[in-house]
Amino acid sequence: MAKSASGPAVPPHPLAPASGKGYRLIGRRLPLVDAALKVTGRAEYTDDLKRPGLLVGRLLKSTQAHARIAGVDVSAARALPGVAAVLTGRRFPTPFGVLPMTHDETALAVEKVRHYGEWVAAVAAVDEETCEKALRRIEVRYEPLPVYDDPGVSERPVTEKIHARALRDTNIQKEVFQHFGDVPRAFQEAFAEVKVQGRFAGVNHGFTEPHCVLAEASPDGRLTVWSATQVPHYLLRALSEVLGLPLHRIRVIKPEVGGGFGGKSDPFPHEIACAALAVETGRPVKLLLDREDVFYVNHGRHPTRNLVRLAADEKGTFTALDVEALLDGGAFSSFGVVTTYYNGVLALGPYRLPSFRYHGVRAYTNHPPSGAMRAHGGTNIRYSLEMAVDALAERLGRDPVALRLQNLLPADTQTVNEFRITSNGAEACLLAARDRSRWRERFRQLPYGEGIGVACGFYISGSNSPIHFTPRFPQSTVHLKVDVDGGVTIHSGAADIGQGSKTLLAQVVAEVLGIRMDRTRVAAVDSDTAPVDLGSYSSRVTFMMGNAAKRAAEELREALAQAAGDILGEPPAGLVFEDERIHRDGSPEVGVDFLAAVHRAMEHRGALVASGSYESPPMGGTFKGAKAGTAPAYSFSAYVSQVKVDLETGFVDVKKVWAAFDCGRPLNPLAVEGQIEGSIHMGLGQLLSESMDYRGARLMNPSLLDYKILAPQQMPEVECLLVGGEDPEGPFGAKEAGEGPLIPVLPSVGAAVHDALGIRFLDLPLTPDKVFRALERARREGTARKPPLPGETREG
Amino acid sequence: MTASAPLHLKVNGVPLERSVPPNRILLDLLREDLNLTGTKRGCDLGTCGCCTVLLDGVPTLSCLTLARLAEGAEVTTIEGLGEHGELTALQRAFVEHGATQCGFCTPGFLLAATALLRDHPTPSRQEIQEALSGNLCRCTGYVKILEAVEAACRTGLPAPSP
Amino acid sequence: MHLEPFELHQPATLDEALQVAASHPGDFDYLAGGTDLLPNYKMRLNPRGHVIALGGIPELHAFAPEAGTFGSLVTLRQIERDPVIARDYPGLSEAARQVATPLVRASGSLGGNLLVETRCFFFNQSASWREALGYCLKAEGDRCHVVPQKERCYATFSGDLAPSLLVLGAEVDLVSFQGPRTLALDDLYDPRGDGIRRTRLLPGELVVRVRVPPEGRKSRSTYRKLRVRPAFDFPELGVAALLSLEGQRVRSLRLAVGGLETYPRSFPTLTGPLEGTTLTDESIAELARRVQGMVRPVHNTFLAPDYRKRMTEVFVRRALADLRGAS
Repeated sequence: MAKSASGPAVPPHPLAPASGKGYRLIGRRLPLVDAALKVTGRAEYTDDLKRPGLLVGRLLKSTQAHARIAGVDVSAARALPGVAAVLTGRRFPTPFGVLPMTHDETALAVEKVRHYGEWVAAVAAVDEETCEKALRRIEVRYEPLPVYDDPGVSERPVTEKIHARALRDTNIQKEVFQHFGDVPRAFQEAFAEVKVQGRFAGVNHGFTEPHCVLAEASPDGRLTVWSATQVPHYLLRALSEVLGLPLHRIRVIKPEVGGGFGGKSDPFPHEIACAALAVETGRPVKLLLDREDVFYVNHGRHPTRNLVRLAADEKGTFTALDVEALLDGGAFSSFGVVTTYYNGVLALGPYRLPSFRYHGVRAYTNHPPSGAMRAHGGTNIRYSLEMAVDALAERLGRDPVALRLQNLLPADTQTVNEFRITSNGAEACLLAARDRSRWRERFRQLPYGEGIGVACGFYISGSNSPIHFTPRFPQSTVHLKVDVDGGVTIHSGAADIGQGSKTLLAQVVAEVLGIRMDRTRVAAVDSDTAPVDLGSYSSRVTFMMGNAAKRAAEELREALAQAAGDILGEPPAGLVFEDERIHRDGSPEVGVDFLAAVHRAMEHRGALVASGSYESPPMGGTFKGAKAGTAPAYSFSAYVSQVKVDLETGFVDVKKVWAAFDCGRPLNPLAVEGQIEGSIHMGLGQLLSESMDYRGARLMNPSLLDYKILAPQQMPEVECLLVGGEDPEGPFGAKEAGEGPLIPVLPSVGAAVHDALGIRFLDLPLTPDKVFRALERARREGTARKPPLPGETREG
Repeated sequence: MTASAPLHLKVNGVPLERSVPPNRILLDLLREDLNLTGTKRGCDLGTCGCCTVLLDGVPTLSCLTLARLAEGAEVTTIEGLGEHGELTALQRAFVEHGATQCGFCTPGFLLAATALLRDHPTPSRQEIQEALSGNLCRCTGYVKILEAVEAACRTGLPAPSP
Repeated sequence: MHLEPFELHQPATLDEALQVAASHPGDFDYLAGGTDLLPNYKMRLNPRGHVIALGGIPELHAFAPEAGTFGSLVTLRQIERDPVIARDYPGLSEAARQVATPLVRASGSLGGNLLVETRCFFFNQSASWREALGYCLKAEGDRCHVVPQKERCYATFSGDLAPSLLVLGAEVDLVSFQGPRTLALDDLYDPRGDGIRRTRLLPGELVVRVRVPPEGRKSRSTYRKLRVRPAFDFPELGVAALLSLEGQRVRSLRLAVGGLETYPRSFPTLTGPLEGTTLTDESIAELARRVQGMVRPVHNTFLAPDYRKRMTEVFVRRALADLRGAS
């Protein structure tokens, strides 16, 4: 089913990577280093951990969407035998949040509740049954407030602000205006313009492991927190701020994490509340969320409305892009400032756009908070933009692939908002996807009801501006330690959440040192020993942690080369590291074992330690918001998808996706394919059936039965085409592959459905009832037919 | 009679007797009482399949099974696959084909797939999909899981004659 | 998620089961596979103080496909895997295969599927969710959130097997303290109930077995299920159809639907007149339209009710076209 590019139809492309030629491990299909633990059930997740004297923690959900808390009576709960502590929001009221400028979450609701399911009180007790009894005995008196379930209402003057910090007399959390070039004029002078209005339901990460946290306050005054988190370091900061403990007295440990996708990247109220219970009781407390809580704490992709206008000249060259976005932020800020920018600026690649205007609003509502989810901020705007490009192609009678090829940014350029573009495989992606899919024979030529569509994608390979940037620490640091045993311990703060960052660390270090991967061991993450890494979000780990690891290994390599050179009487610069030996280039017999070199280097010095770090170069403009979306590299992509629609029922069957992706040099194609395939599954879920289904402020489907993640039978055939070149700054030429692969699947299928039916769907998810209704309308109006075939498609 | 009563089980081949209350769920018995934490709690309501175990050889949702009703049964959890620390062909295939990412759904998939291949050594792709359609995976898009199951079938077969 | 304490009874005979039930009127549930009851218990949906597990009663496990006799504790997995059922009653086989997931089917039983608790967006929610909205008629409350009034519950019948057994003319053997009796499956469900009481079962009455008359074997049958995903989901609509021909003429034609209303229903007044006729595209289409005209789904599942209604026509038409084509 899924495989890397193979077979006769793909012409070798000049940008195709050298598949790791010259490297032993880089570019090879390597199993993940923790896979054996995972297939035997031995991998430890937070809920698998036990501590002596462990208490169970549970949280009380709000039964109001928006209400002032007039009083909480916990006396009956406290009196229950077996209850160790009951906390309410007033005990630890300091607000926190992932972004330093928008701290508006609290461990437990303090003065009011802002969404159904928000936590109002926390209980620690000897067992789950007692916790539940205690929760039932807590009396909360609410004074209901006006409920806001529509960002369209929240962006106007309101009678009750959800947060005092909202702008003016509205519930707007963040508003962004940007304008580059002269957009009004470009539209005046445009030969053609298209307008697309998109509407997107919110979606949830749907990781299989519910959030879980275990906290223990020990008598020596330290607090240890084990948590299923993507960013141990942000959790540590939030714990310190809210609990008033100095950073050095807190230890955060990240066990295995059962999926994150952005949903475990904020510091979370339950993490703080659990730590607070541990502090209060002096005993270890474990708090596992039930699946309903996971949906309420959410921080998933924003319900979004956007408006995209695209202008072009008579040749089809894009001249202006005008974007408006209205985001339903839900009850809290989370990454909202970033999300608001991203929903505009991430439209600025891969096409050359000489003028751009953006107005973005993120408004608070009484829905569960929205936040960052895989391909954060880049998914919904991309859908509308690519639909606009598709519509423009139709308007101009152009082939959608050709029109895109014509408008691509080159490599080594700058966008109108001063994004620095370096390596750029967009063209290679488009060509590969076009040719492998036999686009020219299929587009507009399949029978009515079947279709093929194309879309491009573009995503940051790590955010250039780290969230905690003053003073300017490196974004990632990796430490290595080698002792007499010759094993290389890799200390990293980067969170492996299943994407394989531990494997990457082992691979990079082993490559540089010419050793086997099993000589390394990855210690990630224990904040007591790991250097700070800004965590697994913004698709930054391969690029930033990879570079840090490479540098650390190179430093170690230098020391070992010196030692080997001493033993051999050879100049260190001429030595080669391979097959666990260090030897003269071209003469393996003139060499020493890795271990011998380690021992020599350790003389009079002890264990070898090395450190490498990564800090992205300065970039971006000086205008307000200029840093948003800047990245040391960008991934590019082009997918072609083929669908078949049941014309009587409206069911969309996605048959095949040709996924061409430029992640620079794929360091581990097996892992990259896994990211692409998983992204396609997740993206198709958002496209076809997943939605946070709100009626008013109420979430109707907080369960994995009613929140509809796709079943295995719905997965299309996937052909991964890894066609990027090498990135000049990425480790071994690599760029991200964790989030970008999600982006193009939605619009490519949207375009394929348009090709199939002549209907462009702009309201996701595209459930069968919606498709059916649109088909009925099209049949009534006599528009149910294939759009015309552009002459250009077949000529190519 | 809400009181505990003795329960006799064979777990991963080891017979045991436990005093278990009527409302004890098999998943809790395995994870909390027997410390067999390889069986995962994903939704706790019978949808996701993370808690799958083999109950007398049949892939079963341990989150929807009363422990007491497993009296006399043979329970196989992920810890019970393979012998003497050796991985089974299926486990090896999961490792080699990248079928695990976060790993949280992996035990459930392995048990469901183990039962499938025992009953049906050469399933078609569609049969594999059907057999695994009670297990949710959010990381892999299922592709590498299906490939791994197919690969395990191949390794279980005699080599094709040239 | 733990369950609230209950007393567990494990009777070895029907009599014993009935006795336990009789001594705890209104405060017991029978437990078969548990895949319906236990999630509901976990969500605190009408848990009872006594759970009577039926697994120890041998006759409930009776499985005689050749004779068309199935004990109520026969699992869905047994049904879907049985070659005799696949040959003689393909519609039943197809229906079993489309229930939820293979894992649910491993435990889920025939009897449990026939008596599956009706479902509704406002009912199948946690205790705190329901508390936040105000409890509904079906659990602890006194009003319906779907069709606002206080008399009737509109939760949807969501079993897949009932429609396919209805078209096979199945009968159910029941037993209660008053003794055994047999009902046509059609009569098990009571359309005049208030939606909460949906069957004609007496207090404590048990389904012992389902019997399918042998005529079913001479007919072709099929089951088509509307759901968003090809796994996991309950039916948004289920259509079972049975057809046997004598030459070109219809000897018997039956249709039943589930997933739309509070009970599964068949349409003898619509299908009866077609017996003895020759099916044409037109007569099939007309029948499908008339079935559609009779069903009244409400907005309490994932897909919109108007769509489920429209799909009834499509699914009926397709099911009959399949059967006619295969004949």
